[in-house]
Amino acid sequence: MNRLRTGSLTALIISAIGIIYALIMDPAPWVVYGVAIFLIPLFILSVGILSMAEPEEEEADERVNEPFIGY
Amino acid sequence: MNLMGNILINVLIAFLIGSLLLGFQRKVMARIQRRPGPPVIQHLLHTLKFYIKESSFPRTAAMPFYIAIAATLCGIWISAVIVGPVLGGSLLLFFGIYALHKIVEHNAGSSSGSPYGKLSCVRAVFSAAAEMPLFAVLAIIYLQTGTMIIGDIVNYQNIHGPLIFQMPLAAMMFFVLILSKAPYSPFSITKGKDIISGYETEHFGVLRGYLMISESIAWYMLLWIFLTVFIGGLNLPLYILGMVIITGVTAFINATTPMLNPNHSVAIQVILAFIGIAGSIVLMVVT
Repeated sequence: MNRLRTGSLTALIISAIGIIYALIMDPAPWVVYGVAIFLIPLFILSVGILSMAEPEEEEADERVNEPFIGY
Repeated sequence: MNLMGNILINVLIAFLIGSLLLGFQRKVMARIQRRPGPPVIQHLLHTLKFYIKESSFPRTAAMPFYIAIAATLCGIWISAVIVGPVLGGSLLLFFGIYALHKIVEHNAGSSSGSPYGKLSCVRAVFSAAAEMPLFAVLAIIYLQTGTMIIGDIVNYQNIHGPLIFQMPLAAMMFFVLILSKAPYSPFSITKGKDIISGYETEHFGVLRGYLMISESIAWYMLLWIFLTVFIGGLNLPLYILGMVIITGVTAFINATTPMLNPNHSVAIQVILAFIGIAGSIVLMVVT
C-alpha cells in the first residue's frame, strides 16, 4: 500500500469519526460547522482516492511523466 | 433533527438535484440542437464513474496544492449550503463564497501545470469583473429591504410580495451571474472549449468527479439563492419546479449562443450590470 492510499485511509477514518461524532453527540454549532466544512470534503476525497483504479505498473510512469499537457 | 443531520441531508439534496439539473440542461441543449443527447441522469453517472476510473497525478502538478484546491471547492459550497438552506444566513457570506469560487478557479488552473489551466487561471482573474453584478444586486436588495439576512428577506417578501416584481433588473443581473456559471454558457470563459476544459483540464479521474460534485452543489445553490431572494420561501416541489424552469432557460440560451471571447464576455456583463444598477435605482426612486 503506497503513501497516498495509507494517507487516504487515515483521512477516511478520521473524517468518518468526526462526522459520526457530530451526528451523535450534537456538539456546539461552531464545532459542527467545522466538521461539515472540513471533514465532509475530506471524507468524499478519501473515498475517491481509495476507490479509484490505479494504472498498470508498466504504464504508471508514462501516465505521470507524460500527461496530456498540450505541448 | 440535529444540526449535522440537517447539513448532511441538505448537502445530499443539493448534490443529487444539482446533478440531475445539469443533466437536464445537457438534454435540453441537445434537443434544441436536434441531437438525442445523453439521459438526464448522465451527469450523476459521470460523477460516480470518475470515482472508479484510473487516476494518476501529473508530474507537472504542484502537490499537494493540486488536490487541496479541489477539496477547497467542495468545502466552500458546503459552506454555502450551511449559510443558505440550513441557517438562512447573510447574503454577504454568500458573496464571500462566490469570491472564493473565483479564487479556486484561478488556483486550480495554476496548480496543474497545464498551459490550458494557466490560461483559464488568467481568465478567472479577468472575469472577476463579472462579480460586479452580484455585488450590485446585494446593495440594491439591501436598499430595498433594509437587510442582508436571507430569512428576513423572505419575511419581507411575505408582506410586500416577491422582489422579482419590485426589482426585475436586479433579478436580471443575478440571472446573468447564474448564466455565467452554467456549462457551455456564452460567459463561461474559464472553461471554454478553446482551452480544452480550462482549469479542469488536468483534473481528471477521481479529481474530476470531485469537482463535479462541487459544481452540482454550486448549481443548486445559485438557483436556490435566486429563488429565495427574488420569489421568497418556497416548499421543495416549488423550488424544484423553479430550478427546472431556470435550468431550461439557461439551456436554451447556451444552445443557441456561441461562447463569447473573454473581452466581450466581461464587457457585456459589466454593461448589463450598469443597466441593472441605474435602472434599479431609478425604479426605487419612482415607485
